[in-house]
Amino acid sequence: MNIGEFQEALFAKGREAGFAEMEIYYANGRSVSVSVLKGEIDEYKNAQTGGLSFRGLIGGKMGYSSTERLDQESIDYLLEEARSNAEVLENEEPEELFAGSERYHSVNTYSPPLIGTVPDQLIEAALSMERIALDADPRIDMVRRSATSVSESEVLIVNTKGLNCHRQHSSASASIYVLAKESKDAKETVTGGWFDFSLRSFDDIDVEAVALTGVREAVSKLGANTVPSDNYPVILRNDAATSLLSSFASVFSAESVDKGFSRLKGKLGEQVAGGNISIIDDPLMENAPTSKAFDAEGSATARHELVKDGRLLTFLHNRKTARKAGAANTANAAKGGYKGMVEVSHHNLYIAPGTDSLDEIIRGTDRGILIVELQGLHAGTNATSGSFSLAAIGYLIEHGEIVRPVNQITVSGNFFELLNGIETVGDDPRFIGSCTSPTLKVSSLSVSGA
Amino acid sequence: MLQERLIINVLTAALETGADFAEIFAEDKISGRLEMVGGILESSLSGRDYGVGIRILKGNFSVYAFTNDSSESNLVAVARSAAAAIRGGGASSGVIDLRRAVIDNRHSVAIMPDSSQKKRAIELMRRAHSTAAAFDPSIAQTKIHATHQLQHVLIANTEGLLAEDKRVYTRLGISAVAEDGDQKQSGFSGPGAYAGHEFLEGLDIEEHARKASRIAVTMVKAGFAPSGRLPVVIDNGFGGVLFHEACGHGLESTSVAPGSSVFAGKLGERVASPLVTAVDDGTIANAWGSLNIDDEGARTQRNVLIENGILKGYLIDRMGSRRMGMPATGSGRRQSYKFAPASRMNNTFICNGTSTREEIIANTEYGIYAKSMGGGSVNTATSDFNFAVQEAYIIRNGKIAEPVKGATLIGKGIDCLSKIDMVGNNLEHGQGMCGSVSGSIPVNCGQPTIRVSEMTVGGRKGE
Repeated sequence: MNIGEFQEALFAKGREAGFAEMEIYYANGRSVSVSVLKGEIDEYKNAQTGGLSFRGLIGGKMGYSSTERLDQESIDYLLEEARSNAEVLENEEPEELFAGSERYHSVNTYSPPLIGTVPDQLIEAALSMERIALDADPRIDMVRRSATSVSESEVLIVNTKGLNCHRQHSSASASIYVLAKESKDAKETVTGGWFDFSLRSFDDIDVEAVALTGVREAVSKLGANTVPSDNYPVILRNDAATSLLSSFASVFSAESVDKGFSRLKGKLGEQVAGGNISIIDDPLMENAPTSKAFDAEGSATARHELVKDGRLLTFLHNRKTARKAGAANTANAAKGGYKGMVEVSHHNLYIAPGTDSLDEIIRGTDRGILIVELQGLHAGTNATSGSFSLAAIGYLIEHGEIVRPVNQITVSGNFFELLNGIETVGDDPRFIGSCTSPTLKVSSLSVSGA
Repeated sequence: MLQERLIINVLTAALETGADFAEIFAEDKISGRLEMVGGILESSLSGRDYGVGIRILKGNFSVYAFTNDSSESNLVAVARSAAAAIRGGGASSGVIDLRRAVIDNRHSVAIMPDSSQKKRAIELMRRAHSTAAAFDPSIAQTKIHATHQLQHVLIANTEGLLAEDKRVYTRLGISAVAEDGDQKQSGFSGPGAYAGHEFLEGLDIEEHARKASRIAVTMVKAGFAPSGRLPVVIDNGFGGVLFHEACGHGLESTSVAPGSSVFAGKLGERVASPLVTAVDDGTIANAWGSLNIDDEGARTQRNVLIENGILKGYLIDRMGSRRMGMPATGSGRRQSYKFAPASRMNNTFICNGTSTREEIIANTEYGIYAKSMGGGSVNTATSDFNFAVQEAYIIRNGKIAEPVKGATLIGKGIDCLSKIDMVGNNLEHGQGMCGSVSGSIPVNCGQPTIRVSEMTVGGRKGE
């Protein structure tokens, strides 16, 4: 059955089964990816995947179910599961489906030429990245992974109130991950990698630059050692700052706030960060990989300032949280894939950049640590308390210069305190995912080492 | 799930360009998740995943393709397009003679999980909420979830294997949040098993609820952990995540075969303290990480990894077996048909030693007692690992003293294993989800109480 036929048959049978309102959220994607190892193709992957989430109002409750199989049997499964899931729900807030926004902004996220990339081009690019990396520096011991991919996806939301939203998205990427050693017999190995993407054409990706950056990221860590435990000024390079922000992004969700999982509860209108910090969610930004014109409920998206000059202006809302809080809907309904419920999440969240380059920030640091990688984020951060304690890799800075690489350290602090202690905001945000931070310099963080 | 005729046609198409092996992995999975926040059932989700993965090998080259459309015409088309990536060589000859494998089921399931147990599961979750919420006035919020999964797999390959299995998983997760002024801390307990609904019925839910609340309440009142290198006593059960990160991942052929693991080439060498014997066992009845057959259709087994400190074996999947010239160990696993299999752990644990927990603590003058672990991660090439301690205490003069929060432990695999200087006699297993190249899969991490003579503890200096 194609999706149109399936949706019509599902809604028809659902009406008979007593559903007052119904909606499907359908997502599918295709991708081709290649990785090479030692001059040969190591893995070639061709993926086609699709699935459908159903939700329907029955007995005043919204029941959910999902399937990856679009056949007659699945129609009965979806309706029965949604009915029995609705039946056990105990939350009393009324829910209703949305008929759609009056207007949607247009966001350019699909590129037919990109999807036409031939597999041979992906293979050649991956092989050439590996060669470039091995030739670039004799200390490269192995290219662990040199990979390229193109992918496309679509989302379709249709409901019985007239909503009909469709979007397509495409992207291409190239990545490398290398192992380096000082010499063949050296015991210590270091690793590093790099990644780039394009939303327009695979040809836009400079694979040589990806390979050479990956090499530089690795070899610059050779000879790393720990530092004495102490409090240090810390520069979180844009990638490290981004991973930290991602771990705590849920604190801006009205759902987290409502359920008591965010320390920002009750702080609307208050100063929650330094005056140099503004945090924005902009789903309409061009060339950001997570931009979109509508959210998971079909509401038209828009740019929102969550924190302006340190002051908390709004949380992220979907229709339900907005109604409950008496606030404006920010169109941040989100689904964790087609299996999940409608929740709340950012689209393209970032800390507004400042004016200092990373080099200038390093030069302005008499003694400190530049962190380029944080590890164990899934376990070492607590979004509820804001606390973090993470293994880190970086460089020691003395008198405005990088003097040596650093490993075997942890850096600890609290996200909310950190937002208030940022000395300098860099000018270098790198939009590669749904959450972005420029380089941030904090006056003091606790570092454990020797 | 798939007709034999169709399987043979798809495998034959996969071999058309000269591959030496092809495999089908078909999966039909029903899963359900209930979530209760603050005692109110806020979500109930259920869904069906269905798809087919096709893997084609030629030497060390692997092609993987997957699709949700299991019609014969589409599967043959997908197999052909994947086979087109095998460059050079003509069609493989030979007739595929499928022989259905008889699977000995080691895991009894009394009550198959499905929607009919929803109301009973909600009653049990409410008991968890009531116990957790009543534990202490500082408990401000609870979040309980119960999940079940019934995964039906079919694995067939050009060597004639045809195997089917049904895996049943049930898990309960209890989170409690304690508040003290502006401070918030959470605690978690998440027991699970390769079993049906009877697992929830037989569980000491109150004990797990009290554990989650105890951790939250203790940690919200705790000061920060100290920093620096200290002796660390890691308690039994999920403390085994230390071995999982410090060593287990580094023994997977995915990183050993290309030589990108610090454990590569070290068979027969000393890699740990002589007190350490470590095993990965996929056969333990009803254990969370167990399987009758792995996701390549091979029977799981008990693999001795380290014996008295000497490296004895690796975890090897089919591809690793080709690359390393060593037999596979029943360790090929994947989250779903969306992933090619890779060598992964099942139930990994350090075996019992002779000390009691009391002796280990009494023998420690000053250090950290890591009573309950969070998760961690490792870079297998450098063996740098890290993991978070959920509940920690200072040990002072051989006694457990004040609790401390925010302790992260870091180190290097072999270095850390060599510094294990006491091993307890109280082996237990804890449950976790392990994420890696072939997705997120259930694993057990187990150990008796152990002591590491020195580890870097990442707390906060001067607070």
